Amino acid sequence: MILHHIQTSPNNDSALKLCLRYARKEDTILLAGNGVTALLQRQWAMALSPFKLMLLQQDVQARGLGELLKDFTQIDYADFVDLSLSHTKVISW
Amino acid sequence: MKKLCIVFRRAPHGTAHGREGLDLALLSASFEQEVSLIFMDEGVLNLLKQQQPELIGAKDYIATFKALPLYDVETVLVCKQSLAELGLSAGLLSIPVTVFNHEQIAGHLAQADEVLVF
Amino acid sequence: MSKFIVQVNSPAYGSAASMNAYRFTKAAQAQGHSVIRVFFYQDGVFNSNALNCPASDEFDLTRAWTELANDTGLELVNCVSAALRRGILSEQDARENAREHWNLASPFVMGGLGELVTGIEQADRVVSF
Repeated sequence: MILHHIQTSPNNDSALKLCLRYARKEDTILLAGNGVTALLQRQWAMALSPFKLMLLQQDVQARGLGELLKDFTQIDYADFVDLSLSHTKVISW
Repeated sequence: MKKLCIVFRRAPHGTAHGREGLDLALLSASFEQEVSLIFMDEGVLNLLKQQQPELIGAKDYIATFKALPLYDVETVLVCKQSLAELGLSAGLLSIPVTVFNHEQIAGHLAQADEVLVF
Repeated sequence: MSKFIVQVNSPAYGSAASMNAYRFTKAAQAQGHSVIRVFFYQDGVFNSNALNCPASDEFDLTRAWTELANDTGLELVNCVSAALRRGILSEQDARENAREHWNLASPFVMGGLGELVTGIEQADRVVSF
């Protein structure tokens, strides 16, 4: 059970593409930084939908996306620390 | 001793990721960790033959991939889909590799203790 | 209580990743976990540049790392090879390389990749930014 940590937009970097290629059903995907913008695009939102998905709340709110992304689970850094321990490892793509 | 998996996902020479990933892989192996490498996406281009990085002022770290067996790094995996996307085959690569599909790579990532991506 | 290694690969300014590493480190410590060290590799070594001079109304990440280290005893370790290649030098590096100036912020120290690897070996988890 891996925590996949995505920090970049899929329009700039292949991190999300690769994470989705190798992630397993039981894994969790954490979108941080510009990674949160993936959810604005239908094809990435669809591709992410089978996975347990988390967003860093501060990164969402900082970008003015709080309302647009309100249906997704948003966490703080304390939760991130907990998730990193409740998963077997963190892969920062 | 931990199972450390180093992932190369970026093309060589344009950035220092590949060179610094390899430095960490070799150092980890010399510190008695069980090191495996995965080449995926444009990272597979690190393994093409006949590279001449000195032509663009880059360090020829590529030659050092040939030294992996000296460091007891025996698991060198290449993503099948990434090769196909770039129109490549394993025969074009400079060192012996094992070609894995995405499910096999997912399995390898799952069994490693830690995975570091470059 | 768990043990972490935090690895920072991105510069102090121009990328949000280092700031996220700082927030993660603080959160882990606040929960009583041990951060064995923060290891700066690749462009992460730019976090240790004492000459980083953000405007007075902007967040000074180098200073923030420094204060966190001074307050908590957190170890801040650069990969020395990555640092020298990028013009980050300690006083000793400057002497050894015949340079007149150095710029490593205290209490950052230079170390080898071995400190990352031994840290990973001791830690329950490594988290990279």
